[in-house]
Amino acid sequence: METKSLVVVGAGVAGTAAAIEAARSGVQVTLIDENPISASMMGLDVPLYYGNRFAHSLEDRDLMLQRVFTSNPALHEAESAGVDVQLGTCVWGAFRNTETSRKLDGPQLGLADDKQSWVIKYDRLIVAAGARDLNFSFAGSDLAGTMGANGAHALLSRYQALTSRRMVILGAGNLGLTTARLALNNGIDVVAIVDVSSSAYGDESLMHELQQDGVDLYTSHTLKEAIGSADGIESVVLVTVNEDNEPVSGTEKTIAADTVCLAIGLVPNIELLSLLDCKINFKSELGGYVPDHDEWMRTSVENVFVAGDVAGFHDGMVLNPEIARNQGCLASIAAAESLGAMDSAQAHARRSEIQAEAGAAAPAEVHTYWKNWLQSLVNAGGLDVFACECEEVTRAELIDLQPPRYLEWRSEQMSSRSLRTQLQDGPVDPGQVRRLTRVGMGECQGRRCREQASLLLAAESGTDVAKVPFMSYRPPVRPLPLSIMWPHDETEEMRENWVKWFIPVSRVLG
Amino acid sequence: MPNMRADVVVIGGGISGLSTAYHLAKAGKDVVVVEKGIVGAEASGRNGGMISERTDEPALVPLAVESVRLWPTLDDELGYPTEFVQKGRLQVAVSEAEMGRYLTEKEVGDRFGVHVDVLDRSEIKDMVPFVTERNLGGIFFPKGAHANPQRSVQAFAWAFQDRGGKLCQHTAVTGFKLAAGRVAAVETTAGDIEANTVVCAAGPQTALFLEMVGTRVPLATARAEIIATAPIAPLFQMALVGNGLYGRQAKKGNLLYGGGPHEWIDVDLTSDPGKPNTPLIRNIARRLADLFPVVADVPVIRSWAGVIEQAPDSLPIIDILDRPSNFVFVSASAHGFAIAAATGKVVSELVLHGESSVDISGLRMDRFGEVAPNWREELGWIPVPAQA
Repeated sequence: METKSLVVVGAGVAGTAAAIEAARSGVQVTLIDENPISASMMGLDVPLYYGNRFAHSLEDRDLMLQRVFTSNPALHEAESAGVDVQLGTCVWGAFRNTETSRKLDGPQLGLADDKQSWVIKYDRLIVAAGARDLNFSFAGSDLAGTMGANGAHALLSRYQALTSRRMVILGAGNLGLTTARLALNNGIDVVAIVDVSSSAYGDESLMHELQQDGVDLYTSHTLKEAIGSADGIESVVLVTVNEDNEPVSGTEKTIAADTVCLAIGLVPNIELLSLLDCKINFKSELGGYVPDHDEWMRTSVENVFVAGDVAGFHDGMVLNPEIARNQGCLASIAAAESLGAMDSAQAHARRSEIQAEAGAAAPAEVHTYWKNWLQSLVNAGGLDVFACECEEVTRAELIDLQPPRYLEWRSEQMSSRSLRTQLQDGPVDPGQVRRLTRVGMGECQGRRCREQASLLLAAESGTDVAKVPFMSYRPPVRPLPLSIMWPHDETEEMRENWVKWFIPVSRVLG
Repeated sequence: MPNMRADVVVIGGGISGLSTAYHLAKAGKDVVVVEKGIVGAEASGRNGGMISERTDEPALVPLAVESVRLWPTLDDELGYPTEFVQKGRLQVAVSEAEMGRYLTEKEVGDRFGVHVDVLDRSEIKDMVPFVTERNLGGIFFPKGAHANPQRSVQAFAWAFQDRGGKLCQHTAVTGFKLAAGRVAAVETTAGDIEANTVVCAAGPQTALFLEMVGTRVPLATARAEIIATAPIAPLFQMALVGNGLYGRQAKKGNLLYGGGPHEWIDVDLTSDPGKPNTPLIRNIARRLADLFPVVADVPVIRSWAGVIEQAPDSLPIIDILDRPSNFVFVSASAHGFAIAAATGKVVSELVLHGESSVDISGLRMDRFGEVAPNWREELGWIPVPAQA
């Protein structure tokens, strides 16, 4: 098995900065990025919420590869610096020896392209996997045209393949405002920016500029429903909300639109760090569960570093890519130093150059804002909206802890059970709720429902969302066809030692 | 918390403990189940969900047969869904040696009156058209079945509570107060619980608890792995074993398959043993794609691992200690889910009457004789040394 000195996962701002910095320190760097994502994976809304409003050109892999490259000049810079850049390659697993798994020949990553999977070893790992779209559902959110801001950004700037014409954006922070700007620049009509708060919280001049360009801002509003057909969303109904996030009847406005873009927040992509059992803590101001890291971006696991949105995202970072870039450089310096490519004096000198550019402060917390949004959507849209689209489980079924519909189960005993009764036996356990209701068990691997489910469980149980336990991620962290997982490198030893189940000693000896 | 007391304290909220607790509560006993985490957190909620008469293990057959008889009654009995499906168990052979072992299972089945059909390759093709061309025939247990482990554990837990049982989750047992050759009280992180009888159904921790009361029982723990695919249209409804894998298609349509080498691990009394998956999931994926070539393009969306305790002969141990004399224990050696419908009946009978109506003579502890202190080392059932 091949061993890479330093692997950087993710070729966004932080990952490319880390790779370039390390290469210039003389470290052999492999930079892995999964773009271009296959059209079939995008159809599952993995890893971002793409919303099925995209052009057929996505299926032209060579064209997309070219666009990934041309839309990200840092990739060219990285290659020039000597970085081994591997595009179209996802990291679906990360493995290391622990107390109860000791047979690995060193820390490993599971990789795959569109044809096969393989496993590599690494000495140092920088995870710069970015963040995914926070999703809250609403009536009609299963129609084509519901997407997230990062999904929209990817389709617009990286792939040039978004076919939306009229977009409504939820969230008037910098995430929403920059999405609006980008959409307008690409000829999409942004018909509304909606926020549940009484004022926009994104950059004022950017907001002003958008309004000058004819974008309407709806504050103290929420989305009641999206209406459409098999072709997707055709219109949306907005409604005014009061201070309690309740809809004010008679204030509904129907607006023609084919796209709803959720720009309420982003969630750090911590899957690989979870697999590596890095210490993870809830930090609302950074988007929820994030890896612990020190000032040099070292995680709790030796040889694993983080940089960029995966280390924690807040809206202030949208307008200030320097934060992610600096984190990338810091992670890289720590990795290079630990590899012996830099001595501590060199590392110190280089760090001091970077520290000077440290960026905007994070907000105090984001979950009150998220809760307000979700509460308004629940108040306006009700509990019969799917909480989990893959498994078709409604919010009501989630908090009533009901078995999935396909079991067609009815009993008095079951009807008397709910999350409330379950709480008599212990604190809310999202993993248990997931297994009983199937919320989060579908093909998008819980990406579209995880946060909404946590917030609903927190609200229903009267638990602070920070106290809702973390649910670990499991490999593969991308839905990966059996034929691609297939180990072409399977060893003879594996075949010889394969057992269906424990073989009794009597039989082995006998 | 003031000291509690109960007729029976059951240690462990897995399916063996909860099934036992359910039967005891139903018999009118005052029962407390003490579980260090949540119900079904370990192997009971993480296994493959297979249920069959186990004619590969003659000593187990009477108990397994009783379980197969009782499983179909559980949904109604408990009042909660277990996702039970009784469409048989098919074992597909891909080698002559495997077919040979299957024929032995058929013989054992005949001996115990268990219906086993021997099928040739075309009969298997008729039954499961998408199965590998490498199939050489196999055997079919018409009464084989499967169910959803997590749902089944929860069903037992809820039904136990409905019968007046008390479930203490997030409470670990830390020791025992012994007096006059009996356990007087069970010490827990939430205080002592006085008990007339203790039932230890602690899965991986069973050997540690038995050691506390002075009995060495040969149980080693291992970690094993399972993968789940995205849901697909129904391919087959029976439990289907073959190509080095065991598993089933869940009602929702996901294929759930496990197999391959397991890894011996150590556990301690109160913590949750880590259950990582490893690159082994690729090797499982390969065998699944090979077993059903038609599903090659179906994505794997999840994997998990479970921790299971094993006796040297891979058979359950169900027994009453001589001393302390009010201590009953059950350990399942990875058969826990399959036998769960009968475990509660048998173990509750041991508690109530000192003997069981089902023949468990081959599952008593005396079959091991004197257990050497280094039995794990001798078998090589120990973790490999820790390394980076």
